[in-house]
Amino acid sequence: MIKCQECGSSQYDGALFCNECGGNLWGRRQRQTSILPFAAESVTAVPPSLSPEGAGETARPSSITFVIPSSGRRVVLKDVRQIDIGRMDERKDIEPGLDLTQDEGARHGVSRRHALIRFTARGAILMDLNSTNGTVLNRYRLMPERPYLLRTGDEIQFGRLLAHVFIE
Amino acid sequence: MLIFDVQASRDTIGASDLVQLLYVLVRVSPSQQAGQKGLPLNLSLVVDRSTSMEGERLDTVKRAAALLLDHLGPKDVLSIVAFSDGADVVLPASHVHNKTPVLSRIRGLTADGGTEMYHGLAAGMREVLKATPEDHVNHLILFTDGRTYGDEEACLKLAKRAADHRIGLTGFGIGSEWNDQFLDDLVAPSGGQSAYIEDPAQILHYLQERLNGLGSAFAQNIRLSTDEFPPAVQLKYGLKLKPYAQPLSVSGEGPLNLGAVEGQGPLTYLLELTITPERESRRLHIPFLHRADIPRYQVHDHLFVQGLNLSVASNVPSITPSAELLEAVNVLNLTRMSEAAQTAVEQGDLAVATRRLKQLTSRLQEAGQAGLARQAQLELERVSVMGQLSEEGRKRLKYGTRALFANPYRLRL
Repeated sequence: MIKCQECGSSQYDGALFCNECGGNLWGRRQRQTSILPFAAESVTAVPPSLSPEGAGETARPSSITFVIPSSGRRVVLKDVRQIDIGRMDERKDIEPGLDLTQDEGARHGVSRRHALIRFTARGAILMDLNSTNGTVLNRYRLMPERPYLLRTGDEIQFGRLLAHVFIE
Repeated sequence: MLIFDVQASRDTIGASDLVQLLYVLVRVSPSQQAGQKGLPLNLSLVVDRSTSMEGERLDTVKRAAALLLDHLGPKDVLSIVAFSDGADVVLPASHVHNKTPVLSRIRGLTADGGTEMYHGLAAGMREVLKATPEDHVNHLILFTDGRTYGDEEACLKLAKRAADHRIGLTGFGIGSEWNDQFLDDLVAPSGGQSAYIEDPAQILHYLQERLNGLGSAFAQNIRLSTDEFPPAVQLKYGLKLKPYAQPLSVSGEGPLNLGAVEGQGPLTYLLELTITPERESRRLHIPFLHRADIPRYQVHDHLFVQGLNLSVASNVPSITPSAELLEAVNVLNLTRMSEAAQTAVEQGDLAVATRRLKQLTSRLQEAGQAGLARQAQLELERVSVMGQLSEEGRKRLKYGTRALFANPYRLRL
């Protein structure tokens, strides 16, 4: 079976369009984030991870800043409890808080729903959302859908797109 | 005589126990020698004259009958039957040399009584059989605006018998009250056409189009035998795309009747197959055996042999099917989404129905079909407020999406 990328329903192998939502399945590979080979620098020390229960209630920082060296963009977000990171797709109703489209996210292997950052009582956590090309925190490839503590000055790679994070 | 082009959505099937889908698009074209003129016609016009036909509907059908008279040549045979509670043969099967008395009889038709279709169809078939079927294109053209009560089964058996006698059937439903599924089933055995005529003014256009097609039939009674498909392959759905869009009857016994190649053709149809390859097999051969009558060559039941050769492998390479095939499957999917919304409404599952209509609206918009998208949106609002679809809206969506097949391939994928 294959999974429709748009509605998540299971479809027969060989189906060309989703019988639930009409989504295009034949172009699935083209429309998906292209799969990039593993980067050589992606295995180093293990950052501390949190159990999902350990994340607790959300708390709000005063601001979080992303600096993206390849595009030279600097994004400051204030008064947020959670930031979805990925690429905008209006048709699928995906509007990430940190939209990496203009940073050539697609070329760098950023998925539409790539990762999220949530502010908890124990600090900021970063979670990869089972993205195609994964998320690397301080050169460590994260396990998907597990929360990792994020600190100011950390370096995150969404696919191949590098960003520095500063939390206040 | 006939050229067959059989193309599949992929050339490799996964070596897996899981069911997989394969789409096959078949195009049947006449060889270059084909001219425009076919065999003489042997037509029976079967007209519903029940009470509900009173007024513009019956008046327009009368004009359609007059158009038929004008269209026919000296070698063509015509009969006209009117039915309500019973059937009257208005014009027995004959070459019409003097139109005036026939027109006068047609003008004299009045609307009265119920809709018992079987009587009309049976009388029409008797008239068609009076001419020698092998020398003509034999066809019943039915106009009705209602549902037949109690004799559906008899009508369907008669349609099957008509197909066995190589008599085609076209069913035109006028207004919104008629039973579209029944009409689809009625025309299926002969590979004929059913159409929705919302406005009586469209009758003449539809009839003219059908007459042009029938009059230029190059090959007819084209059938695909599915008995030779290997056990791993099951036919799930069939749809004729050209010269007109019509679902094919895949559940019945015997071959799939595809109708005729009209004029320069082509006749195009789409199949959806499920495949469960046998373990250890490396290849899968699916034979496509067609039979057809080609009157100009005095050929009957001629066998045409084609086939598809598929590889079975653990790694299935990604290929992009042809644009024509993708368009066809896309429209097939749209028609099914429309049907699925209707089914959800019938089952009282309004949440599912509204979700499906919303998705259909959005897909139709993407496909550049603004009118149909608006209709889907209207039905969505109606389901949200009233919990049901309108009969007109449902038919507009059904026949509107179906009509997308016959248009040039212009959807945006």
